[in-house]
Amino acid sequence: MLSVIAWRNIGRNRRRSILCITAVGIAVFFIIFMNSWMDGMFIGIENTVRTYETGHVLAVSEGFEAEKEYLPVQFPLEKVFGGTEDYFSDDELIRLAESLPEVRGALPRIQIHASLFDNVVKHALVWGIDIDREREINHFNLTKRTDGLVYGRFPANDANECVIGTALAEKAGLRIGDRIPLKMVSAEFSDKYWSPEITGIFEFDYRKMDEDTIIVPIDRLQRILGLGDRAQQLVVFAHDQRDSEQIKAGMEQMLGDRTVIRTWTDNYWVAMYRSMTWLYYIIFGVFQVVASFLIVNTVLMMIHERIKEIGMMGALGMKRAEIVFVFFMEAVYLSILGATVGVFLGGVATWVGSQFPFDMTTITGGGMKDLPVSGTLYLVFSPTMLIQNFFFGVVISALCTIIPSLKSAFVEPVEALRR
Amino acid sequence: MRVMRFIVRIAMISVCLLSVLPVFAQQAAEILDQVDDNEIYESIIHEGEMIIEYQGRTFVKTFKVWGRENKDSFIEFTNPEDRGTKYLKKDGRLYVYSPDTEQVMLISGHMLKESMMGSDMSYEDTIENERLSRRYTATFLEDEKVDGRDCWVLDLTAIKPTESYQKRRLWVAKDNFDMVRAEFYALSGSKLKEYTLIRSELIQGQSFPMESEMRDLLRKNSKTTFRVINLELNAPVSDRIFSTRNLR
Repeated sequence: MLSVIAWRNIGRNRRRSILCITAVGIAVFFIIFMNSWMDGMFIGIENTVRTYETGHVLAVSEGFEAEKEYLPVQFPLEKVFGGTEDYFSDDELIRLAESLPEVRGALPRIQIHASLFDNVVKHALVWGIDIDREREINHFNLTKRTDGLVYGRFPANDANECVIGTALAEKAGLRIGDRIPLKMVSAEFSDKYWSPEITGIFEFDYRKMDEDTIIVPIDRLQRILGLGDRAQQLVVFAHDQRDSEQIKAGMEQMLGDRTVIRTWTDNYWVAMYRSMTWLYYIIFGVFQVVASFLIVNTVLMMIHERIKEIGMMGALGMKRAEIVFVFFMEAVYLSILGATVGVFLGGVATWVGSQFPFDMTTITGGGMKDLPVSGTLYLVFSPTMLIQNFFFGVVISALCTIIPSLKSAFVEPVEALRR
Repeated sequence: MRVMRFIVRIAMISVCLLSVLPVFAQQAAEILDQVDDNEIYESIIHEGEMIIEYQGRTFVKTFKVWGRENKDSFIEFTNPEDRGTKYLKKDGRLYVYSPDTEQVMLISGHMLKESMMGSDMSYEDTIENERLSRRYTATFLEDEKVDGRDCWVLDLTAIKPTESYQKRRLWVAKDNFDMVRAEFYALSGSKLKEYTLIRSELIQGQSFPMESEMRDLLRKNSKTTFRVINLELNAPVSDRIFSTRNLR
């Protein structure tokens, strides 16, 4: 009965009720949209880090780890057993890693900075990979879920060939068939000069790769750098990312103390974003509270305007708690209606955003190059998230109105009726 | 009267000091000239070793050098990892031949600032041959003892803003004008490199650095030691050596 009274009271001042519903609706919509955006970013970052940088588990030597920003090739993966030092061959590394049942595939990689000759682009990152195996395990273009090649072909094994990104090709004025003279520092600290021929152009939709990277066959690069059959990094992919820690433990036993093994969750960007989740909820909470101020103000105004009515209700025998309940329920109904509108609009927007991605490169003007994220962003559409944010909006708004509603309990009927 | 005498005394002291400063400046310029003169030769042929110590590892590179009048030089590396790699400095330009690519490439622009063969010297360091006295203004700083040798300490300021090191500090031995130590600074005042002479020898009346060390302070735990072996000064050297054809 009291709930029915509260429900009917909403219609008494339609304009004010619409304003409250709109405020809550906007806040809930914003929270859903931002939540979806952040989830899309997190997933994008995690996928990018796993594909291009760490896999699910990454193994490097101690020496490399100490100087990793320079990407040295002087410290390939090494083994120290029984006091003797030696190096793992890349085949040995693959065999060891893939002996673990959780492992889907293990890929040796070499990354090295190179200086370019006779070019407006002065430096590039040379990425030596087993191209065939990488394409079996990964999609390089995470947006389109393809290998990313747009023109030409990938280099053949052990060939004097390379592929470059679209952005690098455009910036440097390079085409298929051109050679890129470059200089690298080898494993024996020698200057090594190389001019691979461009056989293809790729677009990975990841600025760092498209602008800065030259992909070459790992076996050719190993030879040029004097690495023989040794690898700088071993990138391991799991069947299920939740097995990463298990794989890490297994590899630590097999590869010895001189190897540093990390999971993808140890990556700086992944760890940072995961640690900031609580911050986003605080921000969302603040937005919701701010939006709720309108309802709070509305409740206070209703109490002030209907003070005689409150006095009448008290005189007719309604208890204080019942009076408070009526006002509180009015606020709750406004919150529910507002949250419903917000969820509906947020749901539509996030569904559209999950089908039609945002071009982040255009939006940010290319400012996100250092962030491991694709150039396009898909929002995450999740019914669970919609329901969660619906209740989040209702609960926060309702909580904000408890104290103002309690004000109605302190109105003395006699004093109220005299006004 | 007393005040007048005091003012006159101060004025005389100031005049004496000011008259000495040009002497110091002239002395500094002369010292720098002598340092430059130590490096004049018609030709030079020697074998050498470059020992690079980096991050606890040691890399040894051996080479042979032919040089002509401090202008042109030809270096061929002979250690197994770099065998066949050759550098030619001619007419102020640096060319490299790599056996991997079988190509001659010109090292220019930003490449000149990079480390040569992984050492603490840049390509730019190896091709600079113009006299320091023409590129820098020298100021005498003080006297100092380095490894038991009495030295002048000179501060050098680059005349042109395009110099790779805008400031240098040199410790010059008083006995034979050896550059015993040197520090290389950027315009900001940050110290970039340190050079130390380990051993010199008198060859045909000239003091020549036979063993020296360079440290690139932008690299952690890194130094390069240069050793000269079998040095011949002013021996006849064929012009054909200093040609790009000789690189292939």
